[in-house]
Amino acid sequence: MSRIELKSLRKEFGSTVAVKSLDLQIEDGEFLVLVGPSGCGKTTTLRMLAGFEDPSDGEITMNGSIVNDLEPRDRDIGMVFQSHALFPHKYIYDNIEFGLRMKNVPEAERRKAVEDVAEMVHITPLLNKRPAQCSGGESQRVALARTLVTHPSTFLLDEPLSSLDAKLRRELRAEVDRLHTELKKTFIYVTHDQEEAMTLADRIVVMNEGEIEQEGSPMEIYSNPKSYFVADFFGSPSMNLLDGEVISKEGKAVFQHGQMEISVPDTYANLGSGKVTLGIRPEHVVVSTADGQIPETIDLVEPMGKDTLLYFEAEGERPFVVIVEGLILDDYKSGQQVQLTFPDDKVYFFDEAGQRIR
Amino acid sequence: MSHPIGGGSFFSECVIFNARSFDLTLSQGRKMATVDHASENRGQPQRQLTQARAITRFKWLTLSPIVAIFVVVLVPALFLQLYFSFFGWTVYLGSWWEAEFVGLELFEEVLTDERLGWSIVRSLYFSIGSTIGCFIIGFGLALLMYKPFRGNGLYYIMFIIPMLTVPIVVAYTGEMLLYQKGPVNGILSWILGRDINVIWLADADLALTTVMMLEIWNWTPFSFIIMMAGLASLPKEPQEAAQILGAGKLRIFWEVQLPLLRPVIILALILRFLEAMAEYPKIWSLFQGGPGSASETIPVLIYLTTWNYFEISKGAAMSYVVMLLMIAIVLAAIWVLRREKSSLDKMYN
Amino acid sequence: MNKRTKKRIFESFRYSTLTIWLLIVAFPLFWIVSTSFKPDAEWFAWPPVYWSETPTLANYANVWTGKEEYADTQYIQSMQKPWVALGNSTLIAFISTTLAVFFGSLIAYGVSRYQMLSEARMFQLLMLRMVPPIVIVAPLSLHYSTLKLLDTHLGLILVYFLTTLPYAVWMTKSFIDEVPVEVEQAAEILGASKLRTIWEVVLPLVRSGLVATFLFILILTWSEYLLALILSKTEVVTLPIELSKYEGSTEGRVYGRQAALAVGITIPLIIIGLFISKHLARGFSFGMVRK
Repeated sequence: MSRIELKSLRKEFGSTVAVKSLDLQIEDGEFLVLVGPSGCGKTTTLRMLAGFEDPSDGEITMNGSIVNDLEPRDRDIGMVFQSHALFPHKYIYDNIEFGLRMKNVPEAERRKAVEDVAEMVHITPLLNKRPAQCSGGESQRVALARTLVTHPSTFLLDEPLSSLDAKLRRELRAEVDRLHTELKKTFIYVTHDQEEAMTLADRIVVMNEGEIEQEGSPMEIYSNPKSYFVADFFGSPSMNLLDGEVISKEGKAVFQHGQMEISVPDTYANLGSGKVTLGIRPEHVVVSTADGQIPETIDLVEPMGKDTLLYFEAEGERPFVVIVEGLILDDYKSGQQVQLTFPDDKVYFFDEAGQRIR
Repeated sequence: MSHPIGGGSFFSECVIFNARSFDLTLSQGRKMATVDHASENRGQPQRQLTQARAITRFKWLTLSPIVAIFVVVLVPALFLQLYFSFFGWTVYLGSWWEAEFVGLELFEEVLTDERLGWSIVRSLYFSIGSTIGCFIIGFGLALLMYKPFRGNGLYYIMFIIPMLTVPIVVAYTGEMLLYQKGPVNGILSWILGRDINVIWLADADLALTTVMMLEIWNWTPFSFIIMMAGLASLPKEPQEAAQILGAGKLRIFWEVQLPLLRPVIILALILRFLEAMAEYPKIWSLFQGGPGSASETIPVLIYLTTWNYFEISKGAAMSYVVMLLMIAIVLAAIWVLRREKSSLDKMYN
Repeated sequence: MNKRTKKRIFESFRYSTLTIWLLIVAFPLFWIVSTSFKPDAEWFAWPPVYWSETPTLANYANVWTGKEEYADTQYIQSMQKPWVALGNSTLIAFISTTLAVFFGSLIAYGVSRYQMLSEARMFQLLMLRMVPPIVIVAPLSLHYSTLKLLDTHLGLILVYFLTTLPYAVWMTKSFIDEVPVEVEQAAEILGASKLRTIWEVVLPLVRSGLVATFLFILILTWSEYLLALILSKTEVVTLPIELSKYEGSTEGRVYGRQAALAVGITIPLIIIGLFISKHLARGFSFGMVRK
């Protein structure tokens, strides 16, 4: 079984450090998502797992033995690439069959296996075509089939959906999810799309600048971000983050951001004073026309159908966003004064270094 | 005049044809967006027409110097060649325009000339040999070098230098290195530990091979550069995918790299082969076709016939035969290249 | 065998193979340079003299000044005019190359953007280069003599222009193809005229490619031998022909002089080549690779 361990894994390209020192354990059958902005080292990590890049330092262990020196083909892994990486000169059938031929599977068995897997990912009509005749979504299905047919114990997926359009992406995302549930194999999935990470993962590993920023279940990452970076990265629209200062006013700690003043919840008694960032998710802000903590003027109303987004002017680059449920255009118009309330248990504070203050 | 469409439609057919050809030029061409402040729709046909006209004008403007030189310089020369091959003339026979018509006699003579036959064989041997030599070495080096490694810049630059060396310099350098008591035999003796006395420059059996070696030295960079470009342009992911699916280096080479490289390989082979067929400076300056006629390739034979024996007409007839042969070879090459290009286009689109 | 040992074996195989070829490439070049500094007694010495213990500049002085007093041997070739040949070669090569690249790139632009020539025509263009010039050069010289083009700069420029044009078109086309049409369209939407678009947008993007093409064609014309030999061997002598004159002397081969001249001919090309080596690769693919 494939319990994978990364021990203080490091990768340098010349003078740039892509991965600093990574420790990670991946359980058997787990769906692990490596997520982060481009250049955070997630793809390099995956390529080291695959064996395309040699670690500069550290160890990769699979099933208890070190695989650093093993060729990719001896690691019992399958990989799906962002660019689908089909062999452009081979028919789809031959593309899928390739891995089996390499393993010297007899002809008859190969045919059966290819047909079965084609059935499984719904590409049977494509078998006699060339990759150039397939659409992006079809190509990616073929790429999945080509990997599935060799029955690897671990699947590595390197941003497999990011070159597809939104609708196909959702469709194939569901497909990947289904395959994972059916096969019960280990999936290691790299993406920069937080939504993909949230929907697919058993466990998310957030990476930033070559290091793990936080790991945990999607719910944990979302509702309990360890740092400014994680808080900002997950959620759409992303968390409102207000730079400001904690001052003492009439014996009570108050967070001040421009004209806005919010009393600090009692649970943050140890906040002290000084510069902090306050964070609150758009869906957690309570809006009312009657009463609340903070009076604000609506700048812009964006009806989304199911929800409505309200934008408020704020100091800094980004506007302050609030989500209210439903399509309630009559109640909220731009220019209208409303009252906002930040529930105590939904507010986060981050210190100057970006770490969460608890 | 029982044309199915009717006699009167000739004019209208022309118009239709013209309109179609305009259409074709435009729809084939990637249309350039131009700013049109007036109404887009009404302006369109007028603009297309002006644009098509502008393209035609640009075409003739750029092509006219080439066509002019072609007509003024090459075409008369071709006619002169034709004249000489039907009118027997050598420099000893008075004015060339008073030569006697001999019909196909010269062609008959040339076509039954064993010497021409052998020269063709030698040219093919020389060209195929040097093409394969250049290709194998060039491709081999490219395979070792296309992934970056320490020092690759230095090797790359050094490997290109032979191509930058003037062929006639290559010939004379070859002569300096290869004479019987020269440094190459000296070094070979030292390496092999016994006396090596290869007669590179005077042995009839070896002459053409000697030039072939120099040609390979001279032009391996050409194949090397093309193959480097080819290897560098191969998409990396299919190779990595093959690697993960269990293919070894050799399998990846045969099943992924080589098929994808086929168009480039064919290009490298064809260009080199055709350039080698025209090779003259090295063979001429080292051997003048000798010893005996051991290095008498097509260019050398035509040169000898025309400028050493002054048999202008025979040389002309010979040139025509060779020219037709070469055109046939070039057309075949072009056919192959176009087929490769279209298969490449199909593969990636 | 594990990955690291394999890698080490491959590395040593790579370096040793490359180094062997490096020596094969470098040795003849070394020999030209070395011979150019040898006094005449060492030209044919056995065992061969690899580097003269008494290096001399006499070969260079004799070749490049043509003065007898610099010749310390009986082989005096002072009647040659290498400087004149250098001038001829420079003039002819630069003008014909400029013309070829200028017209070649315009045609390439027309083909790349408007399919001005069909693919079949483009391939037929290659014929100008691919049919060996020997088959036409005899009547051409006769024709040239009636046109008074024999032994003139113009005569050689015209044939060189015509025979290098196919390479010029094909190479520049592969560079122009790489410039996205959208960039041009954007410039035109912003109000630039066609000419201005080409000048300010396309040209800067293909400049390195044009330079590479120019220098490659310069190399071809600079070193051309056969046409120069037949169409202009007495008056307008080019460097390769000049070099071949050192061979015909009855006293024997004058290796040292030849080498001194050869060094002079070759070094400018090598310097040029070093500049373009990076760009050469792209231009040579003739559309047979995918980016």
